Amino acid sequence: MKQLLVASLSIVLLSSCLKQSIADAMLANERSGTQGSGPDVATMSYAVNGTSVTVSVQDPDGQSPTAYQLGCTKMLYPGTTTTFYSLDCLGSGEMSFAFYTDSLAVGNYSYIANYGDMYFATYNGTAEYVHAPADSLSFNITSYTKGHISGNFSGKLTPVATAGYPTNTYGAPGSVLITKGTFKDVPVFY
Amino acid sequence: MSKGILTAVLLLIITKAHAQLGIIKMVGHNTSNYSYGVGAYVKGIFTVSQASDLTLELGANAFFLNDGGSGDGTAVVPLKVGYRYSLNGTGMGLYVEPQIGYNIYGVSSVNVDGYTQNLTFHGLVAAAGTGYLFLLGNTPLDLHLHYETIVDHGGSDNYVSLGLSFYLHFGKRDDVQ
Repeated sequence: MKQLLVASLSIVLLSSCLKQSIADAMLANERSGTQGSGPDVATMSYAVNGTSVTVSVQDPDGQSPTAYQLGCTKMLYPGTTTTFYSLDCLGSGEMSFAFYTDSLAVGNYSYIANYGDMYFATYNGTAEYVHAPADSLSFNITSYTKGHISGNFSGKLTPVATAGYPTNTYGAPGSVLITKGTFKDVPVFY
Repeated sequence: MSKGILTAVLLLIITKAHAQLGIIKMVGHNTSNYSYGVGAYVKGIFTVSQASDLTLELGANAFFLNDGGSGDGTAVVPLKVGYRYSLNGTGMGLYVEPQIGYNIYGVSSVNVDGYTQNLTFHGLVAAAGTGYLFLLGNTPLDLHLHYETIVDHGGSDNYVSLGLSFYLHFGKRDDVQ
């Protein structure tokens, strides 16, 4: 009988030692990256029609959440209550991808032409879109650990020949191949 | 296959089962925005002596959170084993019941910078409870109070539940003396 009471009281006392809820602890872990020992470098690399592009950022967690070179942040789609995560990489070119989910997780995310024209990359000063029927861009998040995502991507895009309003004039459909795409330890900002 | 055999064995040795609806409240740090929640469980009971039972309990609890988000809150599905001991040695009246188990599924939907974020977790479950078993006519009832904690990711969700449940007999306590 005494043992039962001791066991019951021990449960109460031990649990009260933890000073935050599970949700608060998870958010704190995400926001602190690896809690003071985040990755030294985040990278993204890919090939545009066989030409390699590599971007490396030292101390990726030290970037500004609102003005980063390589990172991912949660955003509100303009004019709606829909949220998405925008992965952006700025270097000799630019690569962007939107994960349409309210809770980012490991998995495959694709954008296909049926969804409508969408900008994804700039290379050699030319903007590349998903536009032609066979165009698509797929990002696969293979790990999401302590506020950092890693994975791979590939796709087929169409270059813009002349940017104009309300519609662009496009070049050869599907002529931009994105291959060998990888990203590693990219911080997710909230 | 082995799970099926285990389930069959458990059903054979369980002599009673509880079912109830109760009211629960999240307690502890940063829980003031949680309103009262609802919980339900089913509990299998294996009588080991006149005074004591081993219990196996599967619950589902939902807590509603007023943090400015839409539909925010926490839901957990704990599976626990316990030892229930009646203080007067009759199997009725006042009892205490420590439990331990595993949270099969948990999710907290919280407002983060204006957006709802779903955080899934599992975790170790520990609980301490007391209650009073009595008969109302021929209907056995259990008025009980539980304190339960789920520990995961370096944090804990703690809650208190108060419930009145009924249970179904599959055998007589005296048969297993």
